[in-house]
Amino acid sequence: MKNSTGKNDLLVFEGVSKRYKDLLALNNVSFKIEEGEIFGYIGPNGAGKTTTIKIMVGLLRQTHGKLHIGGYSMPEEKDKVHKLLGYLPQMVAFQDWRTVDDALTTFGKMSSLEKDVIDRRIERSLELFDLTDARYKKITELSGGMIQKVGLVQALLHNPKLLVLDEPLAGFDPETRYQVKQIFKKLSKNGTTIFFSSHILSDVEDIATKIGILNYGRIMKIGTLDELKANFPMKPEIEVVLSKDAGRLNELESLRGVESIKQAAPNKLVIHLDKGIDLDQATNQIIQQMIKLEYRIRSFNPVSVSIDEIYLQYLKGDA
Amino acid sequence: MSFSLLFKDELNGFYKSKVMIFLWIGLPLMTLLIHLWYSDTGGEIPLTSLSAIVVSSLGGTIASVMLTVSIIHEKTRRVYDLFLIRPIKRWKIIVSKFLAVYVCLIIASTLAIILGIIIDFANTGLPQEAVLNGALQSFAISISMMAVSSAAGTLIGVGAPSVLVGAILVIYGGNQISSIPLIPSILNMSDAVPFTIILGAIISCVLLVTAVAVFNKKQF
Repeated sequence: MKNSTGKNDLLVFEGVSKRYKDLLALNNVSFKIEEGEIFGYIGPNGAGKTTTIKIMVGLLRQTHGKLHIGGYSMPEEKDKVHKLLGYLPQMVAFQDWRTVDDALTTFGKMSSLEKDVIDRRIERSLELFDLTDARYKKITELSGGMIQKVGLVQALLHNPKLLVLDEPLAGFDPETRYQVKQIFKKLSKNGTTIFFSSHILSDVEDIATKIGILNYGRIMKIGTLDELKANFPMKPEIEVVLSKDAGRLNELESLRGVESIKQAAPNKLVIHLDKGIDLDQATNQIIQQMIKLEYRIRSFNPVSVSIDEIYLQYLKGDA
Repeated sequence: MSFSLLFKDELNGFYKSKVMIFLWIGLPLMTLLIHLWYSDTGGEIPLTSLSAIVVSSLGGTIASVMLTVSIIHEKTRRVYDLFLIRPIKRWKIIVSKFLAVYVCLIIASTLAIILGIIIDFANTGLPQEAVLNGALQSFAISISMMAVSSAAGTLIGVGAPSVLVGAILVIYGGNQISSIPLIPSILNMSDAVPFTIILGAIISCVLLVTAVAVFNKKQF
């Protein structure tokens, strides 16, 4: 279904709630995700992230509200939705007797792929994830990170329109995390919509085109990173990286509006400004003065609020 | 298509996890051991009949325990998550598992009884027709009981929260239910075997349909 910007909303949550006996795990959750978006879903433990995801993939049924994926209603049209989605659970598990090849072939067949297509895609995907040597190994012989990669491969094998991933980067080392994030970006460019939950806020910042913050089963805020930041004023701080340090901090500190200057590293200064100061004016004045004092500037950046700070503020309900 | 795929996948799993080997070698081996022990003690019942008794007493228990433990284990490890998010009907997952265990057991039981007949043949020549008939009847009853046990094991596996609870329920309930098809024989009804088979089929179907209904409603 086309939205106001002319794009298709692939995923639509409308007032979805989920109750487990006395616990309201999700409370009237509503959001939309456009085709090709990467949606990062963040929130503390027990906020309801996994419940949202399980409702999305049909493992749980919502108590109230409507959910549409690709125009199909969940859970009523589950079979049609399941053709569109790939899913990686938080703790991916395979039967102990399976080899990597066997697991992927079976899931490929269940997704109605032909044998030769499956073989080609397994080979390509394992190469992409550095798992070629593990193809005929039993799953039980693999490390946790490798099993997580096999989980990702099974989710991608049938080229789904929507990838739903519960903490997909949690078990990976930094190098693999970087690789996987590049893969997600490439998939998104090719039109795959990605919904993923994460505790690693820097990962969300790196790849998400839209972010949803969830707490106590309620959506606290949804938007792009810039939209989320827009609610916060810039911090009165400037980070300056120098190629030549003139060592004249006292003269800089005497400038009007400068509260203090911290030498953060040998070639790095953090200038704290007075609260409420006109940032543009202060910036100009400091640059001019630094050039006059024979500092050589490599970079000069007003410090913006970090995603961690945004997250914490929204959780506290301060934003 | 997905049903045959799941069924073959289950059989493949039993083969690779050595369950099939243990069953197909284990049950005939029991027959052989009984033969060795029994010939030492000078018994006169044909081994063909004896192996049918062994199969009927062990087969049902093995079936129900196998199914219960396997389903609960896979359920608690969340193995089913990756199956349930694919375009396959839930009933196919459960029924294919039931059928794979049942077929494996029928093959194991057949092998055990054939071994009994071969040993009898080697020792005393061709078994009498009455002995063969008796063994065939026992085999038919065993198969009915195993069907009920397998269906009960499936239902308990789907419903029980842990392997321990499942095992207790199977031992308490599964084995008792599987003896219901014996009622026509106990009552000395004429044509007891066909009644046993029909009764076994009905009870198995009811249990299996209930298991599927519970699995369909289950949230993971």
